[in-house]
Amino acid sequence: MIGKVEVKPLPKVDLPPLRQVGRPLRRVDALGKAVGSTVYAADFSMPNMLHAKVLRSPVPSGRIVGLNVDRARSIPGVACVLTARDLPGAKLSTDMPGQTGRKERAGSAAPVLARDVVRFQGEPIALVAAEMEEIAEEAIGAIELEMEETPGVFDPEEALKPGAPKVYGDDNVVARWKIRKGDVEKGMAEADLIVENTFRMPFVEHAYLEPEAGVAWVDDQGVINIRVCTQVVEHFRSVAKALGIPQNKVRIRGTMVGGGFGGKEDVTVEIFLALLARETGRPVKLVYTREESFVAQSKRHPFVITHRTGVKRDGRITAAKIDMIADSGAYPYLTPYVLLYATAMATGPYRIENVSVDSVAAATNQPFTSAFRGFGGPQAALAYEQQMDEIAKAVGLDPLTVRRANYLRRGDETATGQRIASEVWLEETVTRAIAGLGEPTPSSKTRKVGRGFASYFQSYGRITWFHDTSRAWVGLELDGTATIRCGVPDIGAGQANSLCQIASELLGVPLERVTVYATDSAVTPLAGTSTATRQLYMSGHAVHKAASAVRKNLLDRAAVHFGVGPDAVDLADGRAFVKGDESRSIGLDELASPCAADGIPLSTLALFTAPFTDGIDPETGQGDIWPDFTFGAQAVEVAVDIETGQVEVLKSVACHDVGRAINPAAVRGQIIGGSHQGLGYALMEEYIVKDGITQTPSLAEYLVPTSCDFPATEAIILESGSGVGPFGAKGIGEPALTPAAPAVANAVADAIGIRIHEVPITPERVLAAMKRGARWRG
Amino acid sequence: MTLPKFELHRPESLDEALDILASSPGAVPIAGGTALIVDMRGRRLSPPVLVDIGLIDRLSGVRIEGGEVVIGAATTIAEIKESDLIAQHSPLLSEACGLFASPSVRNRATIGGNIAYASPAADTAPPLLALDASVELASASGRRTVPIDRFFLGVRRTERRDDELITAIRFPIPAEGTEGRFRKLGLRRADAISVVSAAVSIGPPADGGRRVRIALGAVAPTPIRARRAEEALSAGPIDEGAILAAAEAAASEASPVSDLRGSDWYRREAIRALVRRLLRPVVEGRSDG
Ligand SMILES: Cc1cc2nc3c(=O)[nH]c(=O)nc-3n(C[C@H](O)[C@H](O)[C@H](O)COP(=O)(O)OP(=O)(O)OC[C@H]3O[C@@H](n4cnc5c(N)ncnc54)[C@H](O)[C@@H]3O)c2cc1C
Repeated sequence: MIGKVEVKPLPKVDLPPLRQVGRPLRRVDALGKAVGSTVYAADFSMPNMLHAKVLRSPVPSGRIVGLNVDRARSIPGVACVLTARDLPGAKLSTDMPGQTGRKERAGSAAPVLARDVVRFQGEPIALVAAEMEEIAEEAIGAIELEMEETPGVFDPEEALKPGAPKVYGDDNVVARWKIRKGDVEKGMAEADLIVENTFRMPFVEHAYLEPEAGVAWVDDQGVINIRVCTQVVEHFRSVAKALGIPQNKVRIRGTMVGGGFGGKEDVTVEIFLALLARETGRPVKLVYTREESFVAQSKRHPFVITHRTGVKRDGRITAAKIDMIADSGAYPYLTPYVLLYATAMATGPYRIENVSVDSVAAATNQPFTSAFRGFGGPQAALAYEQQMDEIAKAVGLDPLTVRRANYLRRGDETATGQRIASEVWLEETVTRAIAGLGEPTPSSKTRKVGRGFASYFQSYGRITWFHDTSRAWVGLELDGTATIRCGVPDIGAGQANSLCQIASELLGVPLERVTVYATDSAVTPLAGTSTATRQLYMSGHAVHKAASAVRKNLLDRAAVHFGVGPDAVDLADGRAFVKGDESRSIGLDELASPCAADGIPLSTLALFTAPFTDGIDPETGQGDIWPDFTFGAQAVEVAVDIETGQVEVLKSVACHDVGRAINPAAVRGQIIGGSHQGLGYALMEEYIVKDGITQTPSLAEYLVPTSCDFPATEAIILESGSGVGPFGAKGIGEPALTPAAPAVANAVADAIGIRIHEVPITPERVLAAMKRGARWRG
Repeated sequence: MTLPKFELHRPESLDEALDILASSPGAVPIAGGTALIVDMRGRRLSPPVLVDIGLIDRLSGVRIEGGEVVIGAATTIAEIKESDLIAQHSPLLSEACGLFASPSVRNRATIGGNIAYASPAADTAPPLLALDASVELASASGRRTVPIDRFFLGVRRTERRDDELITAIRFPIPAEGTEGRFRKLGLRRADAISVVSAAVSIGPPADGGRRVRIALGAVAPTPIRARRAEEALSAGPIDEGAILAAAEAAASEASPVSDLRGSDWYRREAIRALVRRLLRPVVEGRSDG
């Protein structure tokens, strides 16, 4: 069991004093959610609206030999039935997410509807729109679909063998990445010991509260409007492309999203709705059931990761050779980038001079895999953090000592040669997480208590060669209220609120007097995707920039009013005032009038651009990939029932350096929620697929943790102020999940003395491992 | 997804309900709907007529009647969990109801529905088997009472005819000094179908030995009594040896399947652990142990 740790005081940080940012203010979206007045995508209806349903393939690999929709079309109340024959060549780009100008890779498009070949269970085949949901369902049942099953491939390793059924390209290879740094052979030769382990992770379902939903209609200008819950309003471009219409004829009006976690980063219902609305000229609504949501959308990638690590007796790592295989499922979607994340973060937050990583993602006839909170980072962390504990065991040192001997420091380079410019508070976070566990809970004869922890690093902001940008418009109204227009989708993490708090800070307008218009592709300036832990960083900056410009105009005009220099004026509580003499003040509403009269702009549109880089070297993987990284740690205490194999999480403490917490209550929410999701990843979540057919088709079989399952994780928020986000913020959305699962895996191994190399660590796996362990020990 | 079409009746008297069941082919009772609606939504069942029994006063509540505890079939799991009478006379049933599903489901699910549905994993079944409960059935043509260990016939199959309603579950008030406990092993803390469940009820020492009941859930096509395990404890001292023998017997009496929730191997291991754990404290608290 990990012993007591000494927690050193934090390095001194000079955080500028702020009035609104940094306070746990009540989020602008809180009340609506608490009282149930927030309107989600499935809540909308329109006059004359039709209801849509999707016919999906029952088999994971097959040919469509017959598809007759005549009977379905003739059912009274059916307005429209569409198959691939009605939309020649309509494709959905699967790896050009968001607004970047990058070209997609050849072949990385999925048919909108399958025409001849079906590659996964649930692949869409036909669309129906009808007067009532019941009629649409009946019509789906009346479609005569004849399929001939063809041999499929259900394992990525099998898929890479010569002669395997072809799912993608000539060889089923969806992506490969390589890292070559230093000299691994030399590093291994210098090692006192070589530790090798293979770790496995399953498919995981996002299981957001809100299944995919939307309503589409064609407006009086001929624009197809789609009201939908999405992480990416820029998909209006993908919709336009699939329909073969101009991009300015599609408008996505995003709604408040009931959870995304990456599952609403790809197109969901948008194209289906657009096709049906165009075809019928009527509003159409499509809401997935939970069961449909399971088969229709992506999963977290299963990975098999093998670490071979050369290590000195004192714990220093001399070389790391890592192999990764990921299951891409039937289509690429974001697999190439998820694999890149896992590859580039494969070594963990450690300084290793000699590194070789080879990764490959193969296509199979399984559910397609794509973005999921952490984007390959959590899989990488499950492997590297368990490996660190195994290294510690092999060299006979405690796990913290081994990590300390290898932790990255500020200014060090990652495995891809990216220099880390921000603070690297690995020591600061890990000691606080461990110390937070307090006194150990005693074990009993049948209940073994163990402790484990994990450190991690996780990027925030998109891949820098995507040349990411965000825009925001900020304006002061004549009554002194403020308005933000920014295309950011709020997926429940408080994205919109953070922007409001930033504008509130800079304009001196109280938070409740700030209104944000978000997530509309036509009228809110495009802000890019709510993914990759990028919105605070990107759109936070855009709002900062726009609000700062307005602020400057206000200060200048106020200075004239007071007859002082602009530096002598400040804004707060809805007023401009002379610093140090707040009796000389003027309401922002009063200040707005002379500004308007003088033609001083009280609004600005600002563009923020992330650092732009070129791609990494394909042979060595060397180069910059992300704007920056978040660092942190989580420690847990578990009790393992050695007779039933059940694992109970007794305590959980996470400590992250978030740079600057714009709203600490929101940050805490992200940490607790992300941790809960990660604990579920460790202990129960597994989307089981057998020969391409899901065995966990509903929430009755697919288990996500309930509020009763784990204690709330204690969140320790550190602020180094060193991030590249506004006010020195880093990102926490994805990082919050990353360390939870490896911490649990290490705690279980600590409790029972045996490592279980795969998640979820189910009671049965624990018991089986203990039986095997007992046999080996004789 | 929508529900299949059905006609809904909401009778306010038992007789009316029984008449509808007798006269409408394919009519099916609905109580909490926590099992039936799930099946209808998944199109595994499409009953043309539903008879909601929730408005029939007589069918809910817990009472004592002639030395027996009587639980109306439409009593919710939450009501049973909160019932003082149940806590006093059959704490193992209170325990089972406390571990059942989650608070929201417990507020709707009924004990009659749990028994009628006849899932091998029904959580009230092992306690009721351990309590020697019987199931009261009524139809337009008469009434009958079936001991619960003869009520379950197979997975989702019972003694109940389609025109019959379960009106109550009843069991004799256990003798003074009877100890009973229930445990379930699920894959999470709430809304988890039992991977294995077990109930024990052990009476005070008596002349011809003691009354021992050990019942198991989710380890056979129906909830079962582990009779050989019971025998291992009914005579002689209940010591660690006897407990281990009973646990072993229970595991061998089970015929579990392997499914998503656990393999047959794991289920047998879990039975051993559960039975041992249920017995030890029962014994420790007593002088004859
Ligand atoms: C999320 C969730 C969690 C669950 N967890 C558990 C659990 O932990 N343990 C467990 O045992 N079960 C669990 N269940 C299953 C279900 O809740 C129980 O079986 C419940 O007791 C069913 O009761 P009900 O009143 O809802 O029955 P209904 O759904 O109304 O009916 C079920 C069946 O019983 C019949 N029926 C109902 N009442 C009568 C009657 N009086 N006479 C004759 N027939 C009748 C109906 O016709 C139907 O066939 C869970 C279900 C869900 C949805």
